[in-house]
Amino acid sequence: MAAAIPAEAKIAATFDARQQLGTLWRHPVLRAALKAVLTVLVATTITFTLIRLLPGNPVDLRIDELTRDGAMTYEEARAQVAGLYAIELDAPLPQQYASFLWNVLHGDLGNSFLSRGTPVTGIILAVLPWTLFAVGTGLLLSFAVGIGLGLLAAYRRGSVFDQAVSTAGSIVSSVPNYLVAILLVLVLGVQLRIVPITQMRGAYSPGVQPGLSLDFIGDVLFHAALPITVFFLTHIGHWILSMRNATLAALEEDFVVAARARGLPDSRITTAYVGRNAVLPLVTQLAISVGFIVGGAVLIEQIFVYQGVGLRLLRAVAQRDYPVMQGILLLVTVSVVVANLVADLLYSRLDPRIGRAA
Amino acid sequence: MSVISLIAIIARRPVGLIGLLGVGGFLVMTYAVPLVVPPQSTVDVANVYRTPSLVHPLGTDFEGRDVLNQIIYGGRDIVNVALIAALLSTLIAVTFGSLAATLGGKVDTAVLTIADVVLTVPQLIVLIVVAALFRPEGFVLVALILASLQWAGLLRQIRAQVLSLKEREYVEAARSLDLSLFHVIFREMLPNMASYVAIHFIFAMTGAVYAQVGLIVLGLIPLSGANWGVMLYFAQSQGALYFSDSFWYILSPILAISLFQLSLVALASGLEDVFNPRLRVG
Amino acid sequence: MSLLSVRDLAIDYRSRRGPVHAVRGVSLDVERGESVAIIGESGSGKTTLAVGLIGLVPRSALVSRGEILFEQDGLPQDVLRMDPEDLRRFRWKEAAMVFQSALNSFNPVINIWSQFLDTARAHEMRDASAVHRKADELLDLVHLDPDRVLRAYPHELSGGMKQRVLIALSLLLGPRLLILDEPTTALDILTQRAIIDLLRELRARLGFAMIFISHDLSLAAELADRVLTMYAGRIVEEARVNDVFYRPRHPYTVGLLRAVPRVSGELGALASIPGTPPDLVRLPTGCAYHPRCPFAVERCRVEDPTLAPVDAPAHTAACLRWQAVAESVGTRRPAEAL
Repeated sequence: MAAAIPAEAKIAATFDARQQLGTLWRHPVLRAALKAVLTVLVATTITFTLIRLLPGNPVDLRIDELTRDGAMTYEEARAQVAGLYAIELDAPLPQQYASFLWNVLHGDLGNSFLSRGTPVTGIILAVLPWTLFAVGTGLLLSFAVGIGLGLLAAYRRGSVFDQAVSTAGSIVSSVPNYLVAILLVLVLGVQLRIVPITQMRGAYSPGVQPGLSLDFIGDVLFHAALPITVFFLTHIGHWILSMRNATLAALEEDFVVAARARGLPDSRITTAYVGRNAVLPLVTQLAISVGFIVGGAVLIEQIFVYQGVGLRLLRAVAQRDYPVMQGILLLVTVSVVVANLVADLLYSRLDPRIGRAA
Repeated sequence: MSVISLIAIIARRPVGLIGLLGVGGFLVMTYAVPLVVPPQSTVDVANVYRTPSLVHPLGTDFEGRDVLNQIIYGGRDIVNVALIAALLSTLIAVTFGSLAATLGGKVDTAVLTIADVVLTVPQLIVLIVVAALFRPEGFVLVALILASLQWAGLLRQIRAQVLSLKEREYVEAARSLDLSLFHVIFREMLPNMASYVAIHFIFAMTGAVYAQVGLIVLGLIPLSGANWGVMLYFAQSQGALYFSDSFWYILSPILAISLFQLSLVALASGLEDVFNPRLRVG
Repeated sequence: MSLLSVRDLAIDYRSRRGPVHAVRGVSLDVERGESVAIIGESGSGKTTLAVGLIGLVPRSALVSRGEILFEQDGLPQDVLRMDPEDLRRFRWKEAAMVFQSALNSFNPVINIWSQFLDTARAHEMRDASAVHRKADELLDLVHLDPDRVLRAYPHELSGGMKQRVLIALSLLLGPRLLILDEPTTALDILTQRAIIDLLRELRARLGFAMIFISHDLSLAAELADRVLTMYAGRIVEEARVNDVFYRPRHPYTVGLLRAVPRVSGELGALASIPGTPPDLVRLPTGCAYHPRCPFAVERCRVEDPTLAPVDAPAHTAACLRWQAVAESVGTRRPAEAL
């Protein structure tokens, strides 16, 4: 008797844990969070693998470089590299991985190879806002204008306006974004000379003082104008077409006819009845886009010499500054994961049909 | 459905027709024309950056070479890599997608999780980092690297399709006849998924072209010879971008790449007509 | 003067094969407080007629002729010729249309209260607290809990509840005419009973006129004063409710009655009407019903009958052979009719 009870208690205990995990998994928000953490974990592991485990990896190469010509002893080189990479080279591999993870969680991404002693985190944070500003503005503008045009195109289905807008939208969005950028430079800057591109390089003009002055803000906008235009043009097509389709679908819905039967004015129907239903899935797409667009920004920043994260990555690649490369890769992955999470949460808040007991 | 009737359906709508003509034209130019027109790589410093003329319909480059000739020869590497990458990613997606759906359980969860992670990771940046680390030179390697990131989207679609088709009657009928799993997947289900696969293949190609040219322009793929991307790379690195005489030299590869992408997208649009009879006109 | 007077209304739909004649010259009158049922199969044109009454035909449809005269301040107003702003004000205030079973009549992303408020504001009722009071009152009238319902989103309510809410909403502006399209289809039988009782109660209390459209004859028996049967876009019989059930004069009406299985009495054969509804693009010659009609003769293939008085007051039928029908049906004792 006495022996049976502890066994039962044990079974009950395991059951409890399984049930708890099961409930956790079922809750949509928690599940999304768990997946996000998992993705970041995988990204960290891949990063670690790339730099440490593969043959010809940067860590060993760096040690080789430092010890060449007897400039340093192997131990000294190892010590220096360890410091740079936030890795303990003497410990067994699993422990190295663990401490790498630990450091990353504490925001320590190592130090740059080139700017000795400058933490990677700091470097990235210095350039990140510029990218986010250009990308964010371009995306938001393209969204706002795109859904407006898409809505109009749907309401004027089959008209010249509709065909023109839809065709233009799909053409511009099929052209690779860096080609659009080059074309802008080529046509506007060099051939037609309406845009002073040489003056627009960089994030802000050398002489201007950073700060919240009108001068500075104006200058920043001047320099960001071309990148923002490229992001605007290359994304607007998608919003126009998506909104057009969503609006056409919403217009077919019975509740729109029912709203007209109630004598509701067209303005109210377009905004709260058709518009709101059509735009709902697009808002989450917007959140997800933010995550991905940072990847495409790299080439744009190079063409316009715009000092954001993308350009910094390219410089790190050119200079073999592996800690910075690794840090940026990790950071961008994390931001994509966060953006997806936000998108999921946003959708469940915006659509009353989700998450509420029916 | 025969190839002729397939083409006829696609060509019925202007979008499909444009897609067919465009893709067809580019394939002919990339593979057939070089058999007839010899490459011209002689340097002629006297003729640098000439504007278009009868002798040089697209002008000349910074070393006096004919641009049109470079455009004709410049597509081959890019199209080759795009085709291989698209083929690889489609194969991976179809194989693992249907396996995951039919086997279910832990295999399914594992495959799905990996796919989700790959989908989340920012492709271009990973490609940049990988290219910087591995310095790929042959185009097969480039294709492999590109394919390794592209399969995830199609895999999810294939998996979803197979999951829904699994429950359908004709599958049950096939299985009750003791036909093997392999037979069921490839003879019964795939024809229904042909639309997804074909359209994904085309978009995988556009993605591969985008990524390739991007990496080349950044100088991360050391290629030589005539190549649309390399032309742009030289334009960038030599500051030709800001030089007004080099307009045609730069515009030509841009047009070539853009028109190729547009043709692919148009063809995909046209293919939707084939697979969605409700959209067919007439 | 009647409340609603429809004169020779014709509505066509555009289609690739040619115009689809959904409504082919319908005339009807509805008096104040009267309840009229329009009964027919699907494809008879009844829903097109209903949406036509408030000028809400879809873009692919065209009103090719006719007038829809609604009495306002003692004068007839043609709904088809109202300017858009007047039409918008007319809708819901004078005539409210409740669509098929309310399943998708509400905007899914805003709550019920907002939809009440939207309706009120569209008709110049701007005082939110007054609207709230009225909404509470109406929801009580339909036996629902206002607090719970107003805060809810449409997907949180059952089909029957949504139908009641829609009925309550339809009364918000005190319309003189309520048009209901298939009010009980897609509801379970208990809810159907509840809705029928509710409509009867509301009519008794508020005195509005009602047009309801259905394929369900039993509904007409419960709620109608007058019944119109509709076939292939035309009214084929019009009579007081008892006359339709006990003394039908058009073969189609007889067919409809016979198709309803008897619950009591002897077991009889289930008689459905043979054949299929006609192609509204290319109609049969002569009488549209003749291919399916057991009473048809040679003349029926040539002549297209119009509604003509038969052997009872306020009873018309569009049939050349109505006397034969009358003989066949006779005057049944009430217990045998349904």
